[in-house]
Amino acid sequence: MDKKLYVSRSFKNIMIVLIILGLAAVATGFITGATTRTWANLLLENFFFLSITLGALFWMAIQAVTNSGWSAAFVRVPQAMVSYLIVAAILWIVLFFGIPNLFLWARHGADLHDAALAHKSPYLNVPFFIIRITVFFVLWIFLVWRIRKLSQKEDQIGGMVSFNKIELLSKVFIFVLAISFVFVGIDWLMSLDAHWFSTLFAVKFFISAFYHGSAFILGAVIILNKLGYFPFLNKDHLHNFSKYIFMLSIMWGYMWFVQYLLIWFGNIPEETVYFHMRRVEGFQGFFYAEIFINWLFPFLFLMWNRLAKNANALLITVAVLFVGQWIEIYNAIIAETVHKVVFGYLEIGVFVGFAGLFLLIGAISLSKHPMVARNHPYLEESFSLEDYKDKY
Amino acid sequence: MKNKSQILGVFNDPDVVSTAVDELLRNNIPIKDVFSPFPLEHVWKKLNMKTRIPYATFLYGVLGTVATFAFLYWSSVINYPLIFGGKPTDSLSFVIIMFVLAILSGVIFTLATYLIREKLWPGKVVNLPDPRSTDDKFVIVIEKDMDMDEATVRQIDELLKKSGATEVNMSNV
Repeated sequence: MDKKLYVSRSFKNIMIVLIILGLAAVATGFITGATTRTWANLLLENFFFLSITLGALFWMAIQAVTNSGWSAAFVRVPQAMVSYLIVAAILWIVLFFGIPNLFLWARHGADLHDAALAHKSPYLNVPFFIIRITVFFVLWIFLVWRIRKLSQKEDQIGGMVSFNKIELLSKVFIFVLAISFVFVGIDWLMSLDAHWFSTLFAVKFFISAFYHGSAFILGAVIILNKLGYFPFLNKDHLHNFSKYIFMLSIMWGYMWFVQYLLIWFGNIPEETVYFHMRRVEGFQGFFYAEIFINWLFPFLFLMWNRLAKNANALLITVAVLFVGQWIEIYNAIIAETVHKVVFGYLEIGVFVGFAGLFLLIGAISLSKHPMVARNHPYLEESFSLEDYKDKY
Repeated sequence: MKNKSQILGVFNDPDVVSTAVDELLRNNIPIKDVFSPFPLEHVWKKLNMKTRIPYATFLYGVLGTVATFAFLYWSSVINYPLIFGGKPTDSLSFVIIMFVLAILSGVIFTLATYLIREKLWPGKVVNLPDPRSTDDKFVIVIEKDMDMDEATVRQIDELLKKSGATEVNMSNV
């Protein structure tokens, strides 16, 4: 039961090669003068992996708050992502240097001739902007690090003390994340076009983070199961995981549609400009791909009960959803910064680099501790009865 | 005419029921139903009991969506095409009403189908094989055919007793 993940040498090497490819892509981008595009891609991937991490940690907090029994054996997967959160904080510091390049309002003297920007400047100014994200990162890391440490302590001493503390901290984390992630969405995605605003924008990205974060956990669990870990994984676990994805696909579609419909119905030029740019000026493909991949595909695909319990079908869904989330953030960022559809070595290279780093950090972090939280009070409930008797 | 006599095995413990079901299935004794105070999902799975009600729900949902769209299209495009706010008459805002009425139609008609199929109505007194199965007992129901001989009945009786039944009764419900 105390089996740890074995990270092979070749896996590490491949991931390091991917990271080097990513660094090379970034360097080439800066050298060839595509500065804005490189910064935009760095922001895209930073946001992509941050939202997956925070979504997965939100999922973990939900499990603790609802006292879910079935997921008790899998909590180590999101807990391993705490390590990436620390790396993400460091990567975010790099991003601070790109602020004037990415954000119109941050350029020197931008608010002198623009009444709207001048009005918003008490909130949208560089020092406050950096302070906000720093405070959020400190809060997130503090809370989830405590949860992770408590869960590891539980392995040693057992009992209910850690469990109760984790439940309390998870409540605090949900509260903090719900508020802070709204501001992250507003700051780093919506303020790319500081004249446009939508009250539903940040909520949609919060749902999206939860959606794709739970999809990532499912993908990781299935792959680890195929590698021989989690031998007790059965159809009911998979069904419970896919219920999250199915439910969140509806939720995501709802948020997307509510935002679109309100703007369509209001028909105010200041608001419709956002969708006009995406629907008419060259981004049609990405615009429709976003809604069809993120909402319609999982909604129809997972409606079949048999597919919702099938590991391979779920793995396909997870892979498709990653593409969907990439497109979603791409739509939010590239249309505002580069103003035209670009897809080339930079997009692929930066993504590959970040993915390598993300997987490497996650795998190493997961391999440090036993894969199953040994003394979790609900562990027995998480195994099916036969499995528990046979194997443990 | 069919004889409706049944053999009832009464149990005190959900885990014992689960092993008793295994034991009966291993001896090829068809179990008609298991009554319990709370849902026993692993027992359903063993009995391989299927329901077609999700398909009915899906159908009602689709019908609700289509009917709502038809009505909205007829009322606001064909019969009374009133333009307001510069919007087209076949408007995107149909979607919300269609969505909500799909849920409503799915829920109401599924409930109605369930009640009709189960012959339930308000105030009906349900004839349970053993009324204690709503309280703290778990009951395995085995149908007793007309042509079932004494030996088989005794065998079932013994199997139930052996696998932990506190009592074995006969019922005519």
